[in-house]
Amino acid sequence: MNGRNEENLSGCGGLRPDEKDLFEKFLASEQAEKAVEDIRKGEQILRDNPAPQPGDELIAGIKSDIAITLLHRKENAFRRTVYKVAAVAAAVMVLSAISIKFFEKGDESARMYTASIIPTVIWESEDIAADDVDLAILTAEVEKVADEVMSLRTGENGSNGQSAVIELETELAEIESDFWEG
Amino acid sequence: MVQSESLAQIITGCKGGDAECFSQIVDIYASRCYGYFYKLTGNKDVCDELLSELFVKLVEKISSFRGGSFESWLFRIASNIFHDYLRGKLRRKKLLDARKKQLKLELTEEKRSEAEMLDKLQFQLKNLDANTRELIALRFYSQLSFKEIAAMRSEPIGTTLAKLHRGLKKLRELME
Repeated sequence: MNGRNEENLSGCGGLRPDEKDLFEKFLASEQAEKAVEDIRKGEQILRDNPAPQPGDELIAGIKSDIAITLLHRKENAFRRTVYKVAAVAAAVMVLSAISIKFFEKGDESARMYTASIIPTVIWESEDIAADDVDLAILTAEVEKVADEVMSLRTGENGSNGQSAVIELETELAEIESDFWEG
Repeated sequence: MVQSESLAQIITGCKGGDAECFSQIVDIYASRCYGYFYKLTGNKDVCDELLSELFVKLVEKISSFRGGSFESWLFRIASNIFHDYLRGKLRRKKLLDARKKQLKLELTEEKRSEAEMLDKLQFQLKNLDANTRELIALRFYSQLSFKEIAAMRSEPIGTTLAKLHRGLKKLRELME
């Protein structure tokens, strides 16, 4: 202990050569010399009356406190790292969830738009004619014309085939235009 | 005196959280810092507390040390700790003063016993003003140059020289 203290305090005080010159910048040469002498003697008093030294127990206690503080700091640093990683992971998960939701919503809105042109019930129906009155009439007339075409082909009604076909086509065109006009 | 290169290595170790390097810093500076605190307070128990606080602060603040004079940096922390202690002491004194006669008597007795404990130098140091006393202790124990001390105290170097000269001259007269 004493060895350590002597080593540490032996250099205390004392003017350095460049510091002696410093006084001459502010004082006349003679006064500067006197001031340097005053300081030297004053600091000698401090050397002659050394302060007590810190006890070994105190030093050991300080070192132990430092070790504990460092340990706590390391633990806190580890904890902070874990929290940071957890926060980043949570952020990634939230972003992923939002992204998935966003893309899902995009598909849904497109489907809705399509459905707004033709009602889903009719679009998905197996029997369209039954769902729409106009379509039912059209279907009946188309079936009637189809029967007539068949009878003409087979020559069942005995009329001129060419004029009858033209007549049927005209009739079909009329039905079609009536249907779209409502 | 520690070589600046090896001190730099020790400080690097401290920044890395090496307890052994902090122990070395304690071994190098504990005596000087203790002496500094003792010359200012004259009380061993207070010195013990202040020295412990200084090194705990050192651990907390070492990452903010950006090079330059380590002594200057360390003694600036020591000086701040001492001033915090003074402010606390002043607050306590004000509280005590408010409790009139009964405590006044106790304070006088405490003062007397404290004076009895001090050696002659400590007693005479108390006769200097606080600012000069701190300057003398800082110069002697920190081993900083006048330039560094002036920079640390934010005052012109001429002022530092004059104050130290006057202070040490007066101390010598008091001691004779």
